[in-house]
Amino acid sequence: MLLNNFPGTAPRKAMNDEVISGVAEAASLMGKEIYFPEGLLGFPDEHRFILSRFHPRDGSQSPFFVLDSVNGALSFPLIHPDLLSWKFPLPVLPELLDCLQAVNGADQLVPLLIVTMRDSVDDITVNLQGPLVLNPISLRGAQMVIENFPLCQPLLSSSAPDL
Amino acid sequence: MLILSRRVGECITIGNDIVIKVVEISGNQIRLGIDAPREVRVLREEINNAMKEENRAAAAAFGDNRRIEDALKQFPGDSPKKSHE
Repeated sequence: MLLNNFPGTAPRKAMNDEVISGVAEAASLMGKEIYFPEGLLGFPDEHRFILSRFHPRDGSQSPFFVLDSVNGALSFPLIHPDLLSWKFPLPVLPELLDCLQAVNGADQLVPLLIVTMRDSVDDITVNLQGPLVLNPISLRGAQMVIENFPLCQPLLSSSAPDL
Repeated sequence: MLILSRRVGECITIGNDIVIKVVEISGNQIRLGIDAPREVRVLREEINNAMKEENRAAAAAFGDNRRIEDALKQFPGDSPKKSHE
């Protein structure tokens, strides 16, 4: 399921810090198969993905993750919002908890943002409108849609988006 | 495409559990109320299209060449912010 955030419909709950986990929790998902019941927007037929760290060829450390479809057809570079220079307030909606088979307040959800590479490094953007959210317990994932968040936020910009 | 006429306050049903109601008409803008099961995705079309396009762009840009390595040189630490400090 992809989640909506229409003004005037389901009220957005404030971010619950107890439910949203950090980078360490994301690291615990490395190499595990994650099931996206609804796929990703534009890729509704890809359901099975593996999360890994991005390892540069020179062996250096990297803040990026990679989400690969099990069949090898799709790869997305991802970054955890804690590694951005501004706070990313992820709304936790009941639909999201349903889709991820999460128990509110019990399961730690892992948000990850898709990065779009561009020809110039300064033009690289991160998608705040369609965050991926993973549940390490059920090993399920979903792409949310937060309509009033920016689709293409410059990754290297130090100015915070209006969230 | 099926085309129906409706007045304010009237509804259209789709399947067993989706109801779309015309709530208000003001000039060339129409406000719709939508009741659908939680698992049914309801999105403004342009948002849906832009998100699909951005997902495709992200996958294509990463697949073409792993330009992420160049990006990494801009912020070798754990935080992108550090490169600007």
